[in-house]
Amino acid sequence: MTSPGVSQFWGLYAREVLRTFRNPFVMLITVVQPFMWLAFFGSSFGNVPKSYLEALFGASNYIQFLLPGVLSTSMLSVGMFGSMSTIQDKRFGFMKRILITPTSKELIFVSKAIGAATRGLVQIPVMIAAAVVFGVPFVLTPVQWVAWVAALFFLAIGFSSLFLAITAPSTDWQTPGVVSNFITMPLMFASTALFPSGNFPAWMQAISSVNPITFSALLGRSFVLGRAVDWSYLGYLAIFAFGMLAIGYAVSARWLKVE
Amino acid sequence: MTDNVGTPAIATHDLSKRYGNGGRGVLALDHVNLTIPPASVFGLLGPNGAGKTTLIKVLTGISDITAGSATVAGFDVRRESKAVRARIGWVAAEVILDDDFSGWENLWLQAKLQNLSDWEGRANHLLTYFSLQDRKDDKVSHYSTGMRKKLEIALALLHQPQVIFMDEPTIGLDVGTRRMLWDIVTGVHKEFGVTVLLTTHYIEEADALCDRLAIIDEGRIIAQGTPSELKARVHADLVLLEMSDGLDTPVVSAIPGVQEVRPQGGDWMIRVGSSEEFLPRLLAAIPTDQIRRISVEKPSLETVFLDLTGKRIGAEEPMRDIRKFYAQMRRARS
Repeated sequence: MTSPGVSQFWGLYAREVLRTFRNPFVMLITVVQPFMWLAFFGSSFGNVPKSYLEALFGASNYIQFLLPGVLSTSMLSVGMFGSMSTIQDKRFGFMKRILITPTSKELIFVSKAIGAATRGLVQIPVMIAAAVVFGVPFVLTPVQWVAWVAALFFLAIGFSSLFLAITAPSTDWQTPGVVSNFITMPLMFASTALFPSGNFPAWMQAISSVNPITFSALLGRSFVLGRAVDWSYLGYLAIFAFGMLAIGYAVSARWLKVE
Repeated sequence: MTDNVGTPAIATHDLSKRYGNGGRGVLALDHVNLTIPPASVFGLLGPNGAGKTTLIKVLTGISDITAGSATVAGFDVRRESKAVRARIGWVAAEVILDDDFSGWENLWLQAKLQNLSDWEGRANHLLTYFSLQDRKDDKVSHYSTGMRKKLEIALALLHQPQVIFMDEPTIGLDVGTRRMLWDIVTGVHKEFGVTVLLTTHYIEEADALCDRLAIIDEGRIIAQGTPSELKARVHADLVLLEMSDGLDTPVVSAIPGVQEVRPQGGDWMIRVGSSEEFLPRLLAAIPTDQIRRISVEKPSLETVFLDLTGKRIGAEEPMRDIRKFYAQMRRARS
């Protein structure tokens, strides 16, 4: 017999992941949404001269610059799906079914957060393939590939934990959407996900300099564009992930509402 | 973790539950004292909003206790919650399953949550017992209501619990499925030796299934015992009388065999030793043209509840309004 926590985590985690992979519509949206970012937003600089792109973005292809940023911002939305799944469980009573077993509220939180982050990882190969179609070359070492995926996974864990902590006391369907809008917009634009921060006003640069999306985008970009790698970014993202996980753990133990 | 064999399956001592704080809070359970012996089917009978579901929530650890104490399977609900939750099963009023999963996968998840290692054989036995073996790999969203209910009971039994809570197990089911479920509850109790605590507001269900039952109203246990003990409490027939004008209560009270005359809503409730002897005397004593309706209730759990609370377990308020509405219509026509 395995440890109760491991068995319970595995059951709940597998449920999170299997439910997503069995829902073709959710899978389609998960994959298509970031792809649309690349296709529409990435093409908005399509006719800009290469010298201008080189000067502004340090890349001859804007999509090459944009890809690590869009992958980072899409880790924001996986948190929303995680908290929606929790609210669904509360509304349909499944949370009671789970809790009338020896499973703890904290464990439900951890399996939801890691389940949501796993869902987020699905976007990575699809986006890479799309970027290849748009003419982006990839010359990463295996270590860089692993580090990039790890950075995105840390980011997804951090944001899904944050979303789950905020929505833990709620049973309202609308809450994840409202929270998502509230958090996503400032975090996405006050980062280097879409544009370099050099032209930001000072206050936006201040936000960007502590925004985990910035660190993930910069790390990914250093891999994709072959720039010097600052490995401390990965450490920062790990601290963000485990910090948020610890906060969400404590919040869920105290405030996770059952119904 | 040792099992406390021989102790009551469930015991509560002055158990109270208040929702909200201060004067605006609602006292959903008010000093509930219950002792439920092992391997019995115990019914909690009461109208909607009486506190039945709250009691289940408190005993299963879903809601906190405000005051008092409770043990389930010998473990303190508050201090030993995990030990309690490893020993109980739960069947919801509304069927709660993961519709994206097959029957077998729902059992798998339950096994993981209960940390069972040798569950497959037992799961197969339960699927066979509930005639679900052929459909175990189908998604449960394709199951009929009866099949879903049976799977839910199988989930509740998978970890060999000592106590199963069934909250309004037959609510919203058609007559055939309800009968099937009654057979299952009786069978499960005998086959698996488990204590069943079921809540219901169906009198006939409580009467048919329960070894013992408690009647609950407004959060208080107002009577408990075997169904026959409870029925024996009312050594009387109840005559319900609706009059167009008032009732001359001294005249009615003077009729031999009358134990009590009391207003019940807009009607009158008269306790009599024998309705067969009482009715001819009543008709001779009061103006018959003022009688709108007379009904007689023989001793039953319904009359026990009526006698104890002055109201019916079913939806009484809307019915009375309808009667008033009809009365107004009659007056308007005449």
